[in-house]
Amino acid sequence: MRLLVIEDEDRLSGILKSKLGDIGFAVDIASSAADANAALELINYDAAILDLGLPDGDGLAVLMATRQSGKNLPILILTARDAVEERVVGLNAGADDYLTKPFAMAELIARIKALLRRPGGVLGMTLEAGNVRLDTVGRELVIGGIPVRLSRRELTIFEQMMRRFGRIVPKAVLEEKLYGIDEEPDSNPIPVHVHHLRRQLDAAGASLMIHTIRGVGYILAEAKA
Amino acid sequence: MTRRIKSLQLRLTVELAALFFVASCLAVGGLIYSAAMTAGSLADRELGLRAEDLARYVSQDEQQKPRVELPPPLKQAYSEAAHQSLFAIRDKDGQLIEASTPEIGALTARWPQADTEPSYFRLSKFGPLERDYSGVSIRLDSAAGPLSVLVAEVSGGNQLVHSILREFVFDIAWYVPPFVALALLLATLSVRRSLLPLRAASAQASAIGPGSIALRLPEADVPTEALPLVVAVNHALDRLEQGFVIQRRFTANAAHELRTPLTIITARLDTLEGNGQLSALREEVARMNRLVEQLLCVARLDSLALDVSSPVDLHQLAEEVVGSIAHLALSACRTIALTGADYPVLVIGNPGAIADALRNLIENALAHTPPESEVVVEVGPEGTISVQDSGPGIPAEDRPHIFERFWRGKGVRTNGAGLGLAIVMEIVRAHGASITVTERVPRGARFDLRFGTA
Repeated sequence: MRLLVIEDEDRLSGILKSKLGDIGFAVDIASSAADANAALELINYDAAILDLGLPDGDGLAVLMATRQSGKNLPILILTARDAVEERVVGLNAGADDYLTKPFAMAELIARIKALLRRPGGVLGMTLEAGNVRLDTVGRELVIGGIPVRLSRRELTIFEQMMRRFGRIVPKAVLEEKLYGIDEEPDSNPIPVHVHHLRRQLDAAGASLMIHTIRGVGYILAEAKA
Repeated sequence: MTRRIKSLQLRLTVELAALFFVASCLAVGGLIYSAAMTAGSLADRELGLRAEDLARYVSQDEQQKPRVELPPPLKQAYSEAAHQSLFAIRDKDGQLIEASTPEIGALTARWPQADTEPSYFRLSKFGPLERDYSGVSIRLDSAAGPLSVLVAEVSGGNQLVHSILREFVFDIAWYVPPFVALALLLATLSVRRSLLPLRAASAQASAIGPGSIALRLPEADVPTEALPLVVAVNHALDRLEQGFVIQRRFTANAAHELRTPLTIITARLDTLEGNGQLSALREEVARMNRLVEQLLCVARLDSLALDVSSPVDLHQLAEEVVGSIAHLALSACRTIALTGADYPVLVIGNPGAIADALRNLIENALAHTPPESEVVVEVGPEGTISVQDSGPGIPAEDRPHIFERFWRGKGVRTNGAGLGLAIVMEIVRAHGASITVTERVPRGARFDLRFGTA
């Protein structure tokens, strides 16, 4: 998989290149908007990491030019600027995700992987965390090497949690995802599904745990030893 | 000492009213005077004409003696107004030919012959009714030779003069006060109308605050006299905005210059394998990151105008902030929950800033609440958010100080720099909101943020 890192700060791009290289990405570096446009023109990257502050132009211009030329590779924006308004502008201009500096490398890698796993993304549709593996296409769940059967709703909920592993999955997102498959009007509410899901994970000896954030949603995380 | 009237409108009105009063007095007085003059000369002329009239009816009888033969209507008129209109006619020798009353006849008998130039006279308390008369005596030619004709009329009883004056005062002078009032009203309205753009400019000016420095006073329709002031104010605002922009750019640049090296340090540390020393270093860098973020936040709040005019759904905002911070709480073995209203609670403010404030309050609560306990964020339907922890609480004597910059409680060991609550306070102030800190039962601290509902 080939990534383009558009970043004018050599030291940072060097670290990104070595770190992303360690986990198997081929990384090219563009240190100006001109280089970035040329590279994106020439090579079909699987994803790009774009710093908004470039010496010869605004990163947003690169983003918009790329989208206008019909390329829909996932683009993650990095910025050292203040986030609130820029975030909206960046996402509106066609960015897929957004990270503000300083960020943790682990966070960046997780976000890039998540982008590549999106429908149409190049990473396979298998989500892995701890001793749990979920094939989102075949809808197969394997915990500690043993297949586990889940109901459709539980599988849908679990898939959302796996996709956002370690981060919050808002109730509203689950409700929306379930709405499409819930034909029965008096089906169980989400907490009941989550309760079943927890029991199944426990029974199968999963190394993951579902935390409830009351009033907000759920977080799937590594169970503490 | 008279107090100066500050209102332009009132001053103009008062001065115009005085001017109109004097002018209308002069005009009415002048008109009455000249009307009286005209009436007087008309009366004199009338007397002269009447004398000529009388002379026309004097003829000679068979004995060559002059004789007066008035036509019946005239005769009747004189006899009906016997003590109103007097006349006496004498011949060239001074002999009385005819008189309207014996008294006037007797009087005129003693008078010298009249001249061809009319001579005017007044009679005081004359006749049986003791009235005042004014009259004319003139020498006129007639069929019976030259005559001395005297005609007099009760003065003040002059109907003509009276009627002219009456007509003037009641029919014409009556128009003056309403006209003056109308003119005053027009002047006042016109002043008010020309001042309207200034009022609009004032309204606009009061809307200009740190959050809306791009606003300018409207220059269109402002009266020419006030335009230099408005233009000068706008130029001053331009310069202020320039200053704000420079400050803003500085903050943005500082953010960039500080964050990039920190990112590099963080990333380099991430790539290193090592012992406990390294993780201590990582923690230190994480603290540094947070401190830089907070300092930038303070700088931003100090230098930048916070736009606090957007509608904000407190419930949605709290959901996002709690959601984004939940994994930090979990990794620190604490939990966090959102309670209260689970429907939109709208307030007016700056969503980013309110989120910053809430994040700082939650981080503060997470730092003080003991492990395995829960931090509760509660959204109230009246535009409130509270953050409650189960920590040691805040001693009453410390409460006034906790919102000061770099203040840290005695004996409280936290990693913070003491900026979090100061940031919260700045944001609360910028919103005109309030924050209170109280004891939580059975233990802990409770912070209440109150916004005005939208």
